Amino acid sequence: MNLAWKDMKKNKVRFFIVGSIIFLVSFLTFIISGLANGLSQDNAALIKDLPKGYFYMNADADKTYNLSKIDNETQQHILQNEEGAVAFSIQMGFLNDQANKQHSVAFVTATDSEFFAQVKQGEVLLDSSLQDKGIHIGDSLTNNQLEEQLVVKGFVEQKKFSHAPVAYIHQEDYTHMYRVQEMQLVFIPNTDVKEFTGLQAFSQKEFLQTIPSYNAEQLSLNMIIWFLVVISGLLFAIFFYMMNVQKIGLYGILKAIGVKTIKLFKMIWTQMLILSSIALALSIGLSQMFSLLAPNSMPFHLTIPAMLQLAIVFLVIGFVGATISGLQIKKIEPLQAIQRGEA
Amino acid sequence: MTVLAIDDVRKTFNNGEVAEDILKGVHLALNAGEVTALVGASGSGKSTLLTIAAGLQQASNGEVIFDGHNMTDMSAEQIRQIRASQFGFIFQFAHLVPFLTVEEQLLLMLDVAETTLSKKAQLQEVDRILVLVGMSHRKQAYPASLSGGEKQRVAIARAIIHRPKVLFADEPTASLDSQRSKEVMQLIHDMTKELQIATLLVTHDEEMLIYADRIIKMTDGLIN
Repeated sequence: MNLAWKDMKKNKVRFFIVGSIIFLVSFLTFIISGLANGLSQDNAALIKDLPKGYFYMNADADKTYNLSKIDNETQQHILQNEEGAVAFSIQMGFLNDQANKQHSVAFVTATDSEFFAQVKQGEVLLDSSLQDKGIHIGDSLTNNQLEEQLVVKGFVEQKKFSHAPVAYIHQEDYTHMYRVQEMQLVFIPNTDVKEFTGLQAFSQKEFLQTIPSYNAEQLSLNMIIWFLVVISGLLFAIFFYMMNVQKIGLYGILKAIGVKTIKLFKMIWTQMLILSSIALALSIGLSQMFSLLAPNSMPFHLTIPAMLQLAIVFLVIGFVGATISGLQIKKIEPLQAIQRGEA
Repeated sequence: MTVLAIDDVRKTFNNGEVAEDILKGVHLALNAGEVTALVGASGSGKSTLLTIAAGLQQASNGEVIFDGHNMTDMSAEQIRQIRASQFGFIFQFAHLVPFLTVEEQLLLMLDVAETTLSKKAQLQEVDRILVLVGMSHRKQAYPASLSGGEKQRVAIARAIIHRPKVLFADEPTASLDSQRSKEVMQLIHDMTKELQIATLLVTHDEEMLIYADRIIKMTDGLIN
């Protein structure tokens, strides 16, 4: 007999309240997680969108990519011998539009590669967020370090670095602007880490940590997310504990007539699973809706695998919370329940 | 025929440094088809004796023999199995499961007793027992909508649906008025005879003793 479901059917209001709290906390966690991922994308979409692989910079650059200069000989050696390898550079800077309004951008230039957009000298390809700021295809933009103008060739979707829209420019223009011949970084996709003299390797995760502010920003947001997860775990335990305390007499009588303790545990676990599943399904649905309705200026990015990962964490802590609260069932003496009188 | 025998059972409770002997060597045999009433003043040890006989607590000394097996040597799980399949319980309060209908209360007991009856046979058995206790018209009712007497009738039905060999009734009429008490006691008596159950009844109410086949008086932890 499914005691769990019958209990929930008869005490709808009580379970609705508990379920609502689980839903609200999980929804809040999903939203904060979406914002954290959104900010992370906003900070490093350029890097995060690259396939799995390794980044290389000068060993003496002190893990600071814009201090790195890879000499031409090493660069040529890697590009010729490693399939898909690309050398690239990133520099934060400004572009002035036709109304002389300044826009902060991350200039990116790279050798021929499918992973980085290519433009001709005198052209620029911009992140689409600049389109919202009134820049159009064909506009001529200026930079005080470059004598020639850059003509907007087009826009790319969701390419950001350090919260600034990416501006892809030609290597020649980059060299004129920053007066450097060497590239800062080399990226080799789909391989294990390799050894190159004078270069230090970074996985994508390690490289992201070298971006100023990325680490601090993600640490704070992740701390909020895990606090919420812990709070949810406590809420699970407290609410199930309160419900179980109210049923101690009943559990005692059931034990007295011979109901197995494990059956009572299964009852609690089933209730937890039903409540959590409904609450999490609603949270996932609503947070997906939120991601569609959220304004473009709000960085919100929540992938299905990230949500499923959080949902599994919620189910695990729900299970632990319900089990901890259910431990008192083991301690219940049927005799005491009988002597307590009617609940 | 003796179904359950209590042999020199003693129970001592320790209140701090003081040891208190609640049962001081009790001998008792419960026979099939017989209502045995235990009477005595409060604190005489009758409820303690009932709970030890029912496997709800352990004796300090002595033996409880059920169906030829010594329960004092059994594991907690073995005792639980006996409680679930061979014993029936009626308490002072009905203690029904609040979220189950009358019918479901009885089906739960059959489930706990691990009955081999088919689903259809279980429903027929529930109907039969509900007719016996006069509650067939409230089959789909929840405990909250039942009167005290009706709840106790359902508790009796739950206690006997799995055809136990022993029925333990601890003050089953204490929360009922005089008329309801008589009805409930008549029912316990009738069920004991019809199903050949060995019933152990603990009561304070002397008026209920007319329903007992045997009356045993306890004083200070001993049977007189």
